[in-house]
Amino acid sequence: MSITTLFENYSEFRHRHPDGDVPHNPYKWAMAIDLDACSGCNACAVACYAENNLPVVGREKFANGQVMHWMRIERYWDHDGSEFPERGARYLPMLCQQCEAAPCETVCPVGATNHTPDGLNSQIYNRCIGSRYCSSNCPYKVRYFNWWDYPSTDNVWPAEMNMQLNPDVTVRGKGVMEKCTFCIQRIRGAESDAKTQGRLVRDDGELQTACQQACPTSAISFGNLVDPESRVHKQWMAQQVELNKHEQAKDEEPGGSDLRGYRVYEWLAPYPSIMYLERVRETEI
Amino acid sequence: MKDIREDIAWAKINTDVLKSLENPRKLYWVILFIAVAVFGVGVGCEVYQYNMGLGVGNFDNPHMWGLYIATFIFWIGMSHSGTLLSAILHIMHADWRKPIYRFAEAMTTFSLMTAGLFVAVHLGRIWQIYFALPYPNMRQVWPNFQSPLLWDAMAIFTYLSSSILFLYVGMIPDLAICRDNMHSGWRKKLYAVLSLGWEGTDRQWRNFRMTYLTIACFLIPLAVSVHSIVSTDFAASQQPGWHITSFPPYFVAGALYSGCAAIITLFIILRYVFKFEEYMTKSILKKVARLTFAIAMVWTYLKWVEFAQAWFGHNAHDQHLLIEKATGTYAPFWWMMNFCASVVPFMLVFKRFQTNIPVLFAVSLLLNLGMWLERFMIVAPTFADGFYPWTWDHNQWPSLVQWGIVFGSFGWFAILFMLFCKIFPSVSMYEVKEMVYHRSLETKKLQALQAAGELAAAGKGAH
Amino acid sequence: MSKRHLLALFTNFDEAEKVVTELRNLGINGFNAEKDMIVKSPIEHPEVEEFLGNRPVRVQWFTLFGAVVMGFLMFWLTSAAQGNFFAQMKGGKPIVPFPPNFVLTYELFILGGVYITVLGFLICAGLPARRSPLYSAKVSEDQIGILVQSEESASVTLKSIFTRHQALEIQEEAGK
Repeated sequence: MSITTLFENYSEFRHRHPDGDVPHNPYKWAMAIDLDACSGCNACAVACYAENNLPVVGREKFANGQVMHWMRIERYWDHDGSEFPERGARYLPMLCQQCEAAPCETVCPVGATNHTPDGLNSQIYNRCIGSRYCSSNCPYKVRYFNWWDYPSTDNVWPAEMNMQLNPDVTVRGKGVMEKCTFCIQRIRGAESDAKTQGRLVRDDGELQTACQQACPTSAISFGNLVDPESRVHKQWMAQQVELNKHEQAKDEEPGGSDLRGYRVYEWLAPYPSIMYLERVRETEI
Repeated sequence: MKDIREDIAWAKINTDVLKSLENPRKLYWVILFIAVAVFGVGVGCEVYQYNMGLGVGNFDNPHMWGLYIATFIFWIGMSHSGTLLSAILHIMHADWRKPIYRFAEAMTTFSLMTAGLFVAVHLGRIWQIYFALPYPNMRQVWPNFQSPLLWDAMAIFTYLSSSILFLYVGMIPDLAICRDNMHSGWRKKLYAVLSLGWEGTDRQWRNFRMTYLTIACFLIPLAVSVHSIVSTDFAASQQPGWHITSFPPYFVAGALYSGCAAIITLFIILRYVFKFEEYMTKSILKKVARLTFAIAMVWTYLKWVEFAQAWFGHNAHDQHLLIEKATGTYAPFWWMMNFCASVVPFMLVFKRFQTNIPVLFAVSLLLNLGMWLERFMIVAPTFADGFYPWTWDHNQWPSLVQWGIVFGSFGWFAILFMLFCKIFPSVSMYEVKEMVYHRSLETKKLQALQAAGELAAAGKGAH
Repeated sequence: MSKRHLLALFTNFDEAEKVVTELRNLGINGFNAEKDMIVKSPIEHPEVEEFLGNRPVRVQWFTLFGAVVMGFLMFWLTSAAQGNFFAQMKGGKPIVPFPPNFVLTYELFILGGVYITVLGFLICAGLPARRSPLYSAKVSEDQIGILVQSEESASVTLKSIFTRHQALEIQEEAGK
């Protein structure tokens, strides 16, 4: 049966992604994060913990680098010799970039991480055997491994706190890799609801990721990149950032571009699905 | 100095080698006990890790891999020695490999078995390791054939099974000798079964010769490809310090290097323990030492190519990583590696050290230490100083659990090797006989020529 | 009359060679050099080929068949497994990418070649073999053995040839 499937779909199976001639249809989930609006409040990180059953590892393990925050707020400072060097931190919310050509997908020995047709990088907990090759290959290091068995560890979800766990999301045991999924449980729920109503998911707030929902400054916009009415689509268009390019035309212009939109490590060509809007700087550099 | 005396009686070859299969002395049991104890420590650490999770190894984000992968590659590398001696030198008609290739081939097999342990140990969910096997199932889920780790699995499986077959097939005539000369007991039955009724008939020898040559011809590209595939675990990724095109030949050179060093170590041990001085001669040791030096220089060259690529490549990440290797957290390991693997082999240049047993023993151990450090220096620094600056914030060292398992693997290897040496002949008797035979033929030819020359010189030629 | 076995042991390869040549040239009833003689030696002797004549070795055909078939099968296994119902995209690569499939094809080509060679060896060499009725442990030590099977009438001639060429020992199968 597999041989016939192979022969019937041969040209489709030889097609590389992403490519212009087979566009995403009907959904391509993408995000845009405005760093100018981001205040570093960490509400998005906390919301992610709540929504996705992330274990709180405790002070000791955090210091040892074994933290599980799928959404992390990174802080960067300029060493500009100012009087109070700890002032002026810039915040970068870093999460799985859901790369179109994800370096993590090719290297998993058992195929626990794959690319969905709607543009997400999927992580299948049941299949993962914990080789951690995916995280080794991730340029952003946004993949988190369950070094310990958190469900059976004290003080992670002490009694009654376990009532807060999200029933739509698996609670992971030891030995599996996990990462941001763009709240796929919410995506699938919204898609299913829309389908029963005979329409596609609209960009009117019916589908929000947990981080987007919690952000007080609406710095995060999330939606369907191929829906011309979505906020995300309009932002990417305005910033002239194209998904399947590793160098944008606007950056080739002499003198650079005034547009704020960029993607992290775009030159490594993973084709990330998250566009960041550069913070408007306070001083001339 | 001759590789072997050409007047050794063949019956003596049999008796000498078969003597190594007699009941072992007390020292053997002591060392075996120590090996079992060390292996037990490793098993204990693994059980603890299995129950608690990999966090006990002091891994974290981003230090995802550590000693397990480094030691895995070390053991795979050491396995290339057997193939080098059995296959490559066989095709080159280098006779001097004959007394030593049997234990080298055994070393190959056991190194691969030890490396296989680490594949399991380093996984987060070992109980599902069979997911990596391509077996048909109702869900039509197959492993990811694009993954270099999976190529590893296939390549190492191929290499291990081919090595075992090669070792066994090459041992059949020797097993027949053991069967013929062993007193009754479980051993005689074992040899009788394993030797498959071999009687040295012409038909058997003809096919044997062709089979041996054919498998040797397959094993050479296999050995090269196996370690190249292991190198693609790193080379096929994007990370700085790993994404280097010269990794496949560099890894293969490193493998041959550590294999040769291990051959010297085991050569000296077996020669002393079993009193094989007639067969594992100093002349052969000298040749192995010289070969090791040559491979050390190849490896050093490729190492410098890697440095040059990082330095002159104008890739900021690679340059930063190289400087960190030399001056950062892992710097002592890096400098020790360079000393042990590039400077120490120069001891092998001096003729008086090439046959000096204590010096060679120490040098071979240092060379292997250098190669183990090299594997570690490939794995660890890229995690500590990868692309993403946010990850550079802390140092990470392996915990005692990791070290326990690494040492346990040496215990496991020692157990396997010691068992092998007492059950199977560690010197290939029929090949040593061939070696002696061919050398005696040559000597006779030389003597005949000399005699004819003398006669001619004395004017008594054709009369 | 039934055929009985004789085993003669020689310590000198040259003498053994002469014996074999004589036996091959012998045209007597009750003994056929091609079918009834087996030469056993402790090491492989390329010279034996010369005085016994060239006999074809078929192991390489097994190898060729096994290697090619296995490589071919592996390519199709991996491609079919990748191109199955789920057809999962990974890393921007095609669903059926050629480089990984070629790597695995190569490895399994070698695996198939080695396994089939061993099988071919066992088949061509006739192993596991039933032990001969006459055998001496010296054959595995340092002597050449020539095992012949002949009628009663020919055995006297054979024995005289053996003794003439300094056979160290002549074993005879016990009378029936």
